[in-house]
Amino acid sequence: MSAGPEHARRVRVWDPALRMFHWSLAALVIANILLGKFGPNVMTLHFWLGYAIIALLVFRLVWGFIGPEPARFGSFLRGPSAIADYGTHLFRRQPSHSHGHNPIGAISALAMLIALGWQAVTGLMSDPEDFVNIGPLADNVGSATAKAAVGWHHAGANLVLILIGLHLAAILFYRVWKNEDLIRPMITGWKWVRGR
Amino acid sequence: MRLIALTATLATTLLPVLAHADAAEDALEARHGYMKMLALNMGTLSGMAKGEIAYDEAAASKAGSNIEALSGYAVADLFIEGTAMGEVDDSEALPAIWENPDQFAQKFAALSEAAAGAGEAVKGGQENVAPALQKLGGTCKDCHDDFRKK
Ligand code: HEC
Ligand code: HEM
Repeated sequence: MSAGPEHARRVRVWDPALRMFHWSLAALVIANILLGKFGPNVMTLHFWLGYAIIALLVFRLVWGFIGPEPARFGSFLRGPSAIADYGTHLFRRQPSHSHGHNPIGAISALAMLIALGWQAVTGLMSDPEDFVNIGPLADNVGSATAKAAVGWHHAGANLVLILIGLHLAAILFYRVWKNEDLIRPMITGWKWVRGR
Repeated sequence: MRLIALTATLATTLLPVLAHADAAEDALEARHGYMKMLALNMGTLSGMAKGEIAYDEAAASKAGSNIEALSGYAVADLFIEGTAMGEVDDSEALPAIWENPDQFAQKFAALSEAAAGAGEAVKGGQENVAPALQKLGGTCKDCHDDFRKK
């Protein structure tokens, strides 16, 4: 079957709410990592940005069930065979023309959401024993857990950084190797797709 | 005779080791106790700042003065060689303390500086507690960030 770009259509894959979500999340997460590592010792702003990130994550969870088709977990999370199948032609030098996330990209998106959820939960539980930056749930989880949560939050931040690195590397790979621009669709919503 | 000689040799070779182990243990316990004393007094202030403990000028001032007094203690001496994390049980002290002693001393000096006048600063009303607490707590965090295991 010849399935060249000439068979691709230009459609609106990412709805406006999802695009707003994406860029807000990117900005807030990067800001919060910088604030966490280099920000003031009194971390009020880090806490507030953290709460904003939690609100975004809740939106994304809801949108994953009631949002438009490409935003739904049910449509972009695929089984092992679809993932393996996509993997076999990942290195072909041609655009994926995926209608939204491709099966492997979906794993990365999900991993990012889970890692950020982890950051939110461990942050809320953290007691760094400085009597200033105490997570609002630290008192509820017991002091041993609250202390350990500081370490989990630290490790989680590094995991988030790794996932962001992978995400950017993948976008560069699609741009350079597969000649597919994934950034513009996340800005305009329009993307060249084939199939569904 | 041989037994006595052996015991004597053993004693002279082992004793310093035992004494050293004791010193490490003592220093570790002492600095944990030191940090705990800081924490107890900080806890009083943070309870009052949050309104969980009713503001009491005398109690607040005592907590502030205690921290001030504690910050005059030469705590760096409790971080003796061989007591880093991994070298003794229960230590959360990062090797960086011994690699950058000047920086460690600086963080401690920052605590002393923040604590200067704390006993007075928290007087005069509940609203004065939070600013003093944040000033102090920032220095705890600053040192823990670099020198205490996460
Ligand atoms: C100059 C550095 C420094 C400063 C300032 C500092 N700490 Fe610490 N703190 C440490 C180190 C290092 C440890 C780990 C010690 C160990 O496990 O041997 C520690 C451990 C602790 C512990 C755990 C003790 C234990 O029993 O395991 C508490 C609680 C604590 N600090 C509270 C505070 C509070 C509260 C302040 C501020 C008022 C503060 N610290 C200021 C360096 C510092
Ligand atoms: C959800 C996104 C979040 C990200 C990406 C994030 C990231 C970070 C980073 C990078 C640090 C520095 C940790 C280190 O280097 O050791 C940090 C520290 C911290 N964060 Fe967050 N954070 C998030 C959310 C939260 C939330 C919601 C809270 C609590 C309400 C919170 C509370 C804290 C606290 C208390 C610390 C200090 C821990 C310490 O003293 O080492 N964080 N965070």
